[in-house]
Amino acid sequence: MESWNRGVISPLELRTAFGRYTYILFIVLLLILAVTVLFPFLFAFAAGLKTSTDIIKGGLQIFPQVPLWSNYSDVWTKYNFIRLFANTVAVVIGGLICQLAVTTLAAYSLARLKPIGGRIILGGFMITLMIPAIAYIVPLYTTLVNVPILNVSLLNNYWGLWLPYSINAFGILIMKTFFESIPNDLYDAAKVDGASSVRIFWSITLPLSRSILIVLTIVGFLALWKDFLLPSLVMTKPDMQPITVRLWYMLNGSTVVSPLNVQMAASFLALLPPLLIAIALQRNLQRGLNVGGVKG
Amino acid sequence: MEVSMNSESASASFKSRTRPRFRFRWSDQISAYLFLAPALIIFAVFAWFPIVKTVIFSFQNVSLNGTSTFVGFNNFERMLIDPAFTVAWRNSILFATLSIAMGFLIPIIVSIMVNEMRLAQGFFRLVYFLPTVIPITVTLLIWRLIYKPDNNGFLNAALALIGGHPQSWLQDPLLVRESIIVLLTWANFGSTLLIYLAALQDVPSEHYEAAEIEGANPFQRIVYITFPSLYPTMITTFILQVIAVVQIFTEPFLLTKGGPGNATLTPVLVIYNKAFLNNDFGLASAWSLSLIIILGLFSAVYLRITRRAD
Repeated sequence: MESWNRGVISPLELRTAFGRYTYILFIVLLLILAVTVLFPFLFAFAAGLKTSTDIIKGGLQIFPQVPLWSNYSDVWTKYNFIRLFANTVAVVIGGLICQLAVTTLAAYSLARLKPIGGRIILGGFMITLMIPAIAYIVPLYTTLVNVPILNVSLLNNYWGLWLPYSINAFGILIMKTFFESIPNDLYDAAKVDGASSVRIFWSITLPLSRSILIVLTIVGFLALWKDFLLPSLVMTKPDMQPITVRLWYMLNGSTVVSPLNVQMAASFLALLPPLLIAIALQRNLQRGLNVGGVKG
Repeated sequence: MEVSMNSESASASFKSRTRPRFRFRWSDQISAYLFLAPALIIFAVFAWFPIVKTVIFSFQNVSLNGTSTFVGFNNFERMLIDPAFTVAWRNSILFATLSIAMGFLIPIIVSIMVNEMRLAQGFFRLVYFLPTVIPITVTLLIWRLIYKPDNNGFLNAALALIGGHPQSWLQDPLLVRESIIVLLTWANFGSTLLIYLAALQDVPSEHYEAAEIEGANPFQRIVYITFPSLYPTMITTFILQVIAVVQIFTEPFLLTKGGPGNATLTPVLVIYNKAFLNNDFGLASAWSLSLIIILGLFSAVYLRITRRAD
């Protein structure tokens, strides 16, 4: 790590027998925990290689004697899995674009353009942190069924997810703090050179904020990919549902009863994208969670 | 037009040195509000309006075709005499207690051990964090197999190895809450861990060095230096954990449907059932309002504590 602060055991102590045994004990405990934490991933992957009878028979044998790789290819042919993936990607990417646009524009205004009543507006945004969406899910649903003024229904419409997903008060707070940390001189110079607010926002502020925007994007991606309740209410048409919702319907067999082993293979494939993103972008992610970790 | 605006803003920033506050110019305000407009509209329609509607709905008999009548406190009366009210909130308290008892110390202890590592800190952080990214439906599929009753489930097979009897993890009212909390702890402790690791970075090494010179062994140092340094973080994660547990919904909804025998019925699950199964939006909103009030109280406590810590 770049700035490793020493822990409890000092380097000197580590050379003593006591220090070394404590250290080794810690490593062993952490490794056992790591295996326990990773076990369900392995379990899902292996179950996707079994026959359904094997899965139901269960027991301690995790890997089957004859792995059925065909389960993983069946997922693509039997489920129209490409469509499901495309739905999820549409929901997540669209939601992210809307969220980032709304969040950065608002944060920029609050941080730099000093609107009258900005503090009250910020407070209004922050209310959504104290009252989570799940507490007003019922009127949110009726709002989506019949959007006021426009009188349209957003059920089975991607906007029905993109617009609620644009609400990210925590992102506004983080971006506002970041924009405020950009030196004033830069803005003054741009203004003297004749740049408009839009120009300053687009050509100066956003490029400077690239690192924090990446963090917000990753955290947002992971959160939207795994969301369940809202998409399950909004997307009732099977061919529009994101993968997480569709898996649940398959599981309950209301429309299609699918073999358990193919379900397990499908669910392992569904967790791969967020898993790979988290692994590939772990550095950015960890920095971001240190910033945003307090959200809980 | 742009040119005139620019000269204006240039002179404004010049003027600001002499008279920094209470300047007001329409053009600035208009652009400020144009930038804010998307957020204002979306928050208004999809957050503020629904929040206000929750309050209004809770005093109404609501039907989806738009004919709603005011019924006074009727919804609240129905909520309070419903046996589900006591059951759901008691379950919430039980869930919160269990989750604190079973899951509160884990990230603290693990963070101290991870912080001790000279190598591979990033590896451990990543591994422990990975469960937090899994979609809940996938988590459910996996854990349903692990928790399968009789001898077939993985956990029961493992239990049999050490001579235990098979348990009905999700069907036994005395075990089901514990089983769900284990799953939740697995799924979420990784993000709390990162908060503690960040807090540990702020413990000055001089404190450890001084204690070492005084002859305190590593475990004494943990008790007398590390724990007190983590104390403010512990209070915030404690409250955040309770707030999160009060909102438990998806796990009991997907795994147990609130059963067996209402053992995992939670307030949000009741809201869902009343609204989307019984179409009783008024009653569901009365429940929502009680949830908002309780969460609001916790948030207020949280804000007071974090403000004081600043």
